[in-house]
Amino acid sequence: MKPLLITVLWALNILVDSGGHFAFKLAAIEPAADASTLEHWRHMLRRPWLWLGIFCFIAEFVLWLAFLSLVPLAEGVLLGMMSIVVIMVGGRIVFKEHFTRPRIIGMALIIAGVAIVGLG
Amino acid sequence: MSLKRFYLLGFVVLMVVDTFSQICFKMAATHAEPFRIEPEWVIRVVTNPWVYGAILGYIGAFVTWMTLLRHAPVGPSFAASHLEVVGVMIVSVPLFGEALSAWQMVGAALIVAGVVSLAIGETSEPHVQV
Repeated sequence: MKPLLITVLWALNILVDSGGHFAFKLAAIEPAADASTLEHWRHMLRRPWLWLGIFCFIAEFVLWLAFLSLVPLAEGVLLGMMSIVVIMVGGRIVFKEHFTRPRIIGMALIIAGVAIVGLG
Repeated sequence: MSLKRFYLLGFVVLMVVDTFSQICFKMAATHAEPFRIEPEWVIRVVTNPWVYGAILGYIGAFVTWMTLLRHAPVGPSFAASHLEVVGVMIVSVPLFGEALSAWQMVGAALIVAGVVSLAIGETSEPHVQV
């Protein structure tokens, strides 16, 4: 029962973390790129994406606390890093961001670095 | 502003406000000790100015992140935002007297190398697909 609960909480954490960032990206690119800062914020505040993103991060706060009450912090942080990969892959699918070599190398180095800091 | 300067400025500001938030959280947590699930602990937290610094930092990070995402790709940017880990590590040495292990320094160096790789990728070959 407990491993299942941990897995479900982990998946939900990754889902709201990545979902929140995709919602923010959708919110940020909606108005024309040449819109002024004020127009940009006005537009974002009127549309649902920004609010969906904020909702995701409020949900994540609760889900993360629940997850960490079941796994040690270092392990939790390592498992949470899955969202780096999910957001990279999602960025490619949803926003047509390319997998260039420097991006893949950069992502791998950052994941390794955060993992080592967390374990050390 | 050129895209290069926009990214540089954006990620530096993001790292500074994120680090600021974490310092405030640590200060708030220390000032509110001992931690107990009781009303007195909540009162110690909300009457503590550091908590409001942390909230201010979060708002600053949110505005910076939304501004960055207008132009920056979300995948690499999210990875690069982990530069915060390095910022927090560096300031925790003089501020909280924390010792850095050799492994932590190796990890920090890898994160910085990763961000440098992302930066090179964005400025030199933005549309080349591998």
